[in-house]
Amino acid sequence: MNEELLIASAKNGDRKALSDLVKKYEQTVYSFAFKVCRDREKAENMMQETFYSMIKSLHQFDGNSKLSTWLYRIVVNHCLMEARKSNRYTFVEQETDESLFDEKYIADWSTLPIKNLEANELRKVLDGAIDKLQPEYRVVFTLRDVQEYSTEETASMLGLSIPAVKSRLHRARSFLRNEITKAFQK
Amino acid sequence: MNEEKVTCKEVMSHICESLSEEINSPKCVAIKEHLENCNGCRSYFDSVETTIDLYKKCTDELPDDVHAKLMNFLGLADIK
Repeated sequence: MNEELLIASAKNGDRKALSDLVKKYEQTVYSFAFKVCRDREKAENMMQETFYSMIKSLHQFDGNSKLSTWLYRIVVNHCLMEARKSNRYTFVEQETDESLFDEKYIADWSTLPIKNLEANELRKVLDGAIDKLQPEYRVVFTLRDVQEYSTEETASMLGLSIPAVKSRLHRARSFLRNEITKAFQK
Repeated sequence: MNEEKVTCKEVMSHICESLSEEINSPKCVAIKEHLENCNGCRSYFDSVETTIDLYKKCTDELPDDVHAKLMNFLGLADIK
């Protein structure tokens, strides 16, 4: 059954169709929530809340956007609300552009041993960098660079202006590459 | 990486749009001249691209027990 029919059936109370929709998007929602929350239990809770919201509000879904886009809006809101409860992130907005784009970080990565690293070691380096990034920045980076939404779509999903999305993406990318550079230069 | 070829003018236009600058503005012309000669900036571009690629490759698989808990939470555990 195609997605349009699944949605129509689910709206009419077909539980099998609803279950199929959940199964279709659970991996996507979980993976996104984990990337933003950085914690398995929180990602699990955010996923449950997202699908609960989906079931409750599916009758309002008008099909003007993709279901996946609609789900991202919901999971983003849940994740950011959760993040605001705990304020433990070290990458703060006060970090100036001068420090983010310092020339000392313009190292030639062809000399860094990235390609020789075991997958789990590389994962540790990446996790360490991402852990320090504020959720507001992680969300923009994940939507734009991982999920490949456009700047306009990301801005619309997050209720941000286009310049704000561009600025956050630019800062998130630079921060992550600087953290990776530092990890390899230790 | 997208293999589609772009012209220098398109690259400049993109960069300058991000900066909210006209393509022929003094700042954009200066950036163009800088990019033509700067290995550091090319290296910076490559490393940002690598950062994105590395992060994309990190997948977080949904554990089976988490799937089961979700279906239970939603009251859909009986549906096969």
